Order: sequence, then structure tokens, then C-alpha cells
Amino acid sequence: MAEHVILFAGPMGAGKSTAIQSLSDIDVVRTEANNSERHIVDKATTTVALDYGEILIDGEEKVRLYGIPGQKRFDFMWGILKTRARGMVLLVNNDAPDPVAEMLYFIDEFRDLYDRGGVVVGISRSDLVDGPTLADFSDALERTNPDLVIPVFTVDPRERDQMVDVLLTLVVNIEMREALGATMAAAL
Amino acid sequence: MSPGLHTKPAVVKAASTLLAEMKDVASSLTYAALLTDDGFDVARLPGETDGARFAGMASSMQALGDAVAHELKIGTSEYIIIASGKGYVVQLRVPGQELVLSALFDNDATIGSALAIARTYAQKMAELLK
Repeated sequence: MAEHVILFAGPMGAGKSTAIQSLSDIDVVRTEANNSERHIVDKATTTVALDYGEILIDGEEKVRLYGIPGQKRFDFMWGILKTRARGMVLLVNNDAPDPVAEMLYFIDEFRDLYDRGGVVVGISRSDLVDGPTLADFSDALERTNPDLVIPVFTVDPRERDQMVDVLLTLVVNIEMREALGATMAAAL
Repeated sequence: MSPGLHTKPAVVKAASTLLAEMKDVASSLTYAALLTDDGFDVARLPGETDGARFAGMASSMQALGDAVAHELKIGTSEYIIIASGKGYVVQLRVPGQELVLSALFDNDATIGSALAIARTYAQKMAELLK
């Protein structure tokens, strides 16, 4: 049985915990604390260590889902969780002050995961603001990282079906790159 | 919405005073910090150290301890101990507050005495904030 470990990254308030809650087949392991930064993101609690969930796709592939805390002060957890993951769902809330810059920051911080597996980007809360369009995010990615192929979606982390689509896109992406790598290695 | 305890000067002052008292009582105490549940440094000893990174780590550890206790259905986590060849870290929540006390003792302390001191001062902090 194949197994994948996928990291859910992105800034506080992007919907990482919600996405894992939507996807997980098991009770999610949460590490929430009351949020003292409600002037920055107005939500009652925030993840301070990790979220953990699991989902079985196609009845045989177990995907382990880890969520990071979004704030920079928890970047030691980013390092711990990054080492065990093979791919990343990067969620960015479009109502952040500069969501494109947030996306590029996390792409840069978690670049290892692109190199080891793959990355997809999900833009959340797009319905709430007249923020950057998907094309703006894609253009910024192409401009700053022209060698990377990263799909960008609009998502609602509360919607399981949407998150499953994002996750499957990532898993297929990872598996295709693995297969291509194996084919190229065999040809050498 | 209320701002975090780390932004309240009276709390920061009380926390700093309390940690200094703790050091007077326990010479084996080499580092101590009070931090918010969501990882903000409130006060630390020695005061001149940068507590931001440790505050984040300690809050993650506290939350993971709570998650483990929940997973194994053993109620709530009362304290966390990390023992190493050079000493002990004892960590516990200040009762009734969104605050955590984390204290490093050298090997001159026993785990029992380190825990007793940490518990006493967590309780004192709770009383100061009543």
C-alpha cells in the first residue's frame, strides 16, 4: 500500500486546520491555543504545534496530513514537519494584506518539498474580497520561479470535495514525477 | 477581544518579579520563562536573553502534551518533564490562566524538588493574576 505524507502550509487564517478537518477520515489531532493576535487574524484559536489527520484515497493509498502553525515564531515546527513530508498543499487567504507575497514567501521557505515531491497552491477566502486573481498568483509564480510547475486553485477549505480535488492533483503530480524520475534513471 | 497577556505591562512586571524570586529560592534554576499558550514570551530569566524562540517551542510542547493526554484518554496534561544529562526542564500551565511556566534546573536539583518549586511558583503566578 502506497503512503504519502503531505504538509499543509500557509499563513495564519488560511484554513489549514479546516482543510485537514474536512479531509481526514480519523479524528484530527489538534494543538490549538487561544489566539492573542486577533487584531491580525480575527479567529478564536490558532494551531501552535501541528494538526494531524489521515485520508485513504482510492481505497488503498493512505495520505498522512500534517498542518503547520502559520506564524513565523513557530518555524522550528516547520523544520521538524518538513523533513517527513513529500509534498505540500500551500493555502493562502486572499484577504491577507499581500497574499501574493505570502504565497511566494512560503514557496521559498518550503522549496525542499517541491524538489522532493510537489506543491499545489489553494487560494482561500477569495469570495470575501476583491483580491488578486488566480492569474495574478500564477504570473507571480512564473515570474519568480520560472522552473517550477505549480497548479493554483481557488478553494474553500470547508468543502471536502474541493480539498480532495486539490489533494489528488498533488498526489498525481508527485507520482508522475516519481515515475518520470525512475524512467530517466533506468534510461541512463 | 482581549490582547495577549504578554502585552500587559502589569503582567510582564509580575512575571519578571516572580521569576527573580524563584531564582532566589532555587539556586539550581538556570533558566525560566513565562509564556502565553500561543507562544509569546512574557518574561524570562536571565532577562537579557531572547525568549521569543523558546516561548514558541515551549507552547508547542505544552499543546502536544495536551494532545497526547487527550489521545490516550488520561485527562489533562499536568506537567511535562524533559530530563537530560545536564538537568531537567519542568513545564506546567499557570492554573486558570493562558500562561505556561517552563523552568530549567541543573543537576543539583532532583526531579521532585524541581517539580515542587515549579508548581509552587505557577500557583503563585495564578494568585498574582487573580
